[in-house]
This record gives sequence, C-alpha cells and structure tokens, in this order.
Amino acid sequence: MTTANVTKEQWVEIFRAIGLDEDMMWKWHREFEARHPDGHQAFLEWIGIPAGEVEGIREKSR
Amino acid sequence: MMTVGRLARRFGLSRSTLLYYDSIGLLVPSGRSRANYRLYSEEDVVRMEQIALYREAGLSLEAIADILAGESGEAVQALERRLESINEEISDLRRQQQTIVALLRERDRLSGTRILTKDRWVEILRGSGLDEEGMWRWHAEFERTAPEAHQDFLESLGIRKKEIAAIRNWSRSASNP
Repeated sequence: MTTANVTKEQWVEIFRAIGLDEDMMWKWHREFEARHPDGHQAFLEWIGIPAGEVEGIREKSR
Repeated sequence: MMTVGRLARRFGLSRSTLLYYDSIGLLVPSGRSRANYRLYSEEDVVRMEQIALYREAGLSLEAIADILAGESGEAVQALERRLESINEEISDLRRQQQTIVALLRERDRLSGTRILTKDRWVEILRGSGLDEEGMWRWHAEFERTAPEAHQDFLESLGIRKKEIAAIRNWSRSASNP
C-alpha cells in the first residue's frame, strides 16, 4: 500500500451501495478493531482519515 | 620529504602496500633518513598519484609499471586527465547506483506491508454481516467506484495477480450487465 487512493467517502458509498447500513458499518469497525487492531489503523490511514479522527473511530470501535 | 606512514595516510593505503610497491620497484623512495627510514620526495608523490589513478582504472601493478617506464609526453598527460575524469564519473555513477538500489529495497519493504491477509479481510466482512453474495457486490462496487484502488487493495491482501485479474473481470461484468 499504496498508490491508488480511495477516499473515506468512496468507501462509505461502496458499503452503502451493497446494503451495509450505519449500524453494520460500526459492527464492521468493531470486528476489524477486535480482530486486527493494527490492520484497522493501517486501513483508516490508507483511506486518508486524519490521525485524530482515526483515534476517535478506533476508540468508538472498542 | 615524506615518511612511509604519511604517504600511506595521504593515499588511503596501508604501509605494507607501499613497502610492497618498493620491493617490486614500482615506487622506490628517493631518500633515506639517518635512521635509514624511507623518505618520499615530491616527485615520488607525483608518481604515487599516477599509480593511484591507474589502480582506480583497474590496471594491474605490472601494467602500471610498464606505462610509467615509458616517456611521459603531453599526450600521456592528456590521457591521464581523461582517465581521471572517467574515474570520477564512474564513482559518481556507482553512488547513484547504490542510492537507487537502496530506494528499490525501501519500496519493496513498503509494498510488503499488508493491512491484512485475504482470509482475515473475508472474516471481518463476514463478521459485519456480509454473505458471499454481498462480498461479490462489494467487489463490483469497488471496481465501479475506484478501479485502481481496487487493484491496489487486492494486492495488499496478498492475492495473486491472476486471481486479481479474474476478480476484477467478474466485477466489471457484474456492474455492467
């Protein structure tokens, strides 16, 4: 990772398009955080989320 | 006049190398001190500069001795200057080569960092309520929205190029029925 960037908005759009609602997306964050915290961090950075917001999302996922 | 130790330091050589040059007659010091230590004159230093130049160009000591035994006219001096600049260009290129190799190694190391493996990614998607069909829709949407990032992401999961091509092919046909 990484040359081609996908933004947070695009990612959310993709998830929404396949039928994941807000609740399911948070469930997805919780799964990610619980199983692979480092991967979660790396992924959130990859989609260009600033450090402070990454910390907030991970906090909320625990 | 210069002692063997000082001359060695100046050219970055060992004392024993200079003693060896003396023993084969390549660079014989012009003088001796009262205690019989070797002393090198300015001319000896000039000769040592020539030896260093030819060594850097990869010539054998024997070949260097032959060249230095011949007459040193203007043509020879011109050739020596050219040789010197070629030597410098080569060491510049070698530095560039090392820098590039270092950069490439760094790149390999970076692209080797994976967010996750494929299996773990699938596990997480499944854990958040997505079934097989949902995952395929995810691929199709990803391909439609950000095809390059789709490729990049699949590579980061360690999926083989062939499989990625197949997944993306399928994704395109699914999003453009």
